[in-house]
Amino acid sequence: MAMLAKNRWGWLMVVAVVWLVGGWGRAAAQDTTFKEGVRIGLVYSPGTKPGVLIMPVGGDMADSIHTILSRDFEYGDRINVVALDPSAVAEATTAARVGTGPVPNYPLYAKLGVQVLVQANVTAVGLHVSVHNVVKKQIERVRDYPLLGVPLSPEWRLALHNAADDLEFFVTGTRGISSTRILYESGGRIWQVDADGANAIAVTTTGTAMSPAWHPKATHMAYMQFGSAGTQIVIKEIGGPTRILSSTPGGLNTTPVFSPDGYTMIYAHAAESGADLFAVNAFGSEPARRVTVGRGSDNTQPTFSPDGRRIAFTSSRSGHPEVYISDADGTNADILTTFNFGDQSYRGSPDWSPDGRLIAFQTQIAGRFQIATISLRDRSIKQYTSEGVNEDPSWAPDSRHLVFTSDRGGTRQLWILDTDSGRPPRQLTRSAIRRGARLGAWSPPLRPH
Amino acid sequence: MKRRVALLVATAALNSACFATRNDVRILQGDVLAMRGEIARADSARSRQMAGVATQVASLLATLSDSMRVTSARLDRLRGDTRTDLYDIQQQLLQIQELTGQSQRRLQELRAQMEERASQVVAPAPTPTDSTVAAAGATPPAQPTAPGPNQLFQLAQDQMRRGSYATARAGFQELVRLYPTSDLAPDALYWSAEAFAAEGNRTSSDSAYTEVLTRYPRASRAPTALYKLALSLDRQGKRSEARAAMDRVSREYPQSDEADLARDWLRTNR
Repeated sequence: MAMLAKNRWGWLMVVAVVWLVGGWGRAAAQDTTFKEGVRIGLVYSPGTKPGVLIMPVGGDMADSIHTILSRDFEYGDRINVVALDPSAVAEATTAARVGTGPVPNYPLYAKLGVQVLVQANVTAVGLHVSVHNVVKKQIERVRDYPLLGVPLSPEWRLALHNAADDLEFFVTGTRGISSTRILYESGGRIWQVDADGANAIAVTTTGTAMSPAWHPKATHMAYMQFGSAGTQIVIKEIGGPTRILSSTPGGLNTTPVFSPDGYTMIYAHAAESGADLFAVNAFGSEPARRVTVGRGSDNTQPTFSPDGRRIAFTSSRSGHPEVYISDADGTNADILTTFNFGDQSYRGSPDWSPDGRLIAFQTQIAGRFQIATISLRDRSIKQYTSEGVNEDPSWAPDSRHLVFTSDRGGTRQLWILDTDSGRPPRQLTRSAIRRGARLGAWSPPLRPH
Repeated sequence: MKRRVALLVATAALNSACFATRNDVRILQGDVLAMRGEIARADSARSRQMAGVATQVASLLATLSDSMRVTSARLDRLRGDTRTDLYDIQQQLLQIQELTGQSQRRLQELRAQMEERASQVVAPAPTPTDSTVAAAGATPPAQPTAPGPNQLFQLAQDQMRRGSYATARAGFQELVRLYPTSDLAPDALYWSAEAFAAEGNRTSSDSAYTEVLTRYPRASRAPTALYKLALSLDRQGKRSEARAAMDRVSREYPQSDEADLARDWLRTNR
């Protein structure tokens, strides 16, 4: 404060910039007293998200690093990124960045709603990051993150996302979701895209593939592929060879999913008598074991509970598709989604949240699918979408964000919604292929190699 | 002589009969022609009549055929409607079954709540009185009633859902101890086995599954317990014991879902 008091213009400029760019700082600084007379306007609540200011980054690729870190924090929905014009705080940041002279003007930053300052400098080996606690007026953490590969390459970006997620964990106690990828189907091929929408690349080149699924350690992926004898389950090592699951007989074999320990795979096998789920050692040669007793109904789209002891799946045994839940060996099957007598709309595509509390699914409302979740504790249902047709939800590792297919933009694309904040969904893919993108599968956290 | 005269008369008579005149022949021919004409007229009339009858028959047949077709279509529709109705009824039955399941869960919750409220009803605190009154046999203050089986089951299930397996198991075992004849006792014993399994205590879970079979062999949980025991034996590499258990599921509980799964297992694990 003393420093800026010498320069009244600097102080005014900072206040003006903060007023214009908004954010947490503005909310905190808002005059909440009501004057006499008529008033029209909105009162913003400052919320509970910590305000983080990423100071201008020093070194090569500075702007890209600043942009990616800011975006990662923003997409995580747990941090309020305070946006300030770099020139407005140049005096305070320059001295702090080089590590000489006065420390950052903590009282000023506190007044602007900043609780955490992130200082990052590019070094020869990667990114040197200091995290300041503005309230305690001290540096709380210093860490170096290696940046691998060519700048802006997928490996380099993944390393930077990993740094962002680690910082988010330090600030909020929950790891971010930016160092993840999403598999999806587009034009009969399986693609993958970073969680921020960058680096969309096809991972299958031939055949017609669908239903991608991640191995829990992200070392493999599985999908179904059309062949001469129907469809078969393919397991592909990431960056390595593929092999066909030997236990899958002819006919339709669909919707594979790995168990949380990564050893078992459950998939749906359809025959004339309906479709049942089968469990098999994903990397062995034992015969598959049936786990559902459909008796002519269709049982598909399995998803494991985080402890691997239970599964949820779509079954038409009640007459039309509903979400069922059972033990992983198929016993104790019970309907999960409640319905009213005579109700002909249906529910399906369940995905169990990584924290085990919720199951996301698609539910037909007025003839169109929408995304909803059901609590396993009290079976309460919460609907998240209403615009367009929204299908195939898949949880992020933070059990808070969902990727889903939606036609709200005109073509089917993948979108991401935050189940906590109710913030409008953001579009993830922009596939130019006519049929768009669908069947998203969110990866576990990825580590740079 | 008389005989000769008689012969001559007879011969003359015969000759007069054999020689018809031309006029007779013409008349005869006329008669024949007339008769032929009548026959022809009669034939054509009959033929017209027959044709009429044939037309009528054809018309009747066509009408009958149309009626048959309509009736057949009606029958088909009726059959279709009946099938649809039957299918609808089947679906509705299935839905009712599922709804019954939902209702049973809700009933279970309600029973538990009722028991909880009943247990909260405590007799009013005793007013300070002369100790001699109590000594004289006054009613002692009522103790809070113990939780009922529904309440115990609900509480233990809640703990199970939260992952507090030891607490859940204690609740289930308490239920079996206090209410061994309750409808919920087999379920409680089964879930105590599940709690052991969730903790990775395979030996104890296998024992508990066996106890379900021993104490409540006719319970709806019995085939599930036996099937899980068989799978556990298989995981331990005890193939022949697993096979025997699977065979037992198939034989003793042939109508259960587990019997279907066991038969499938036996087929693929010969």
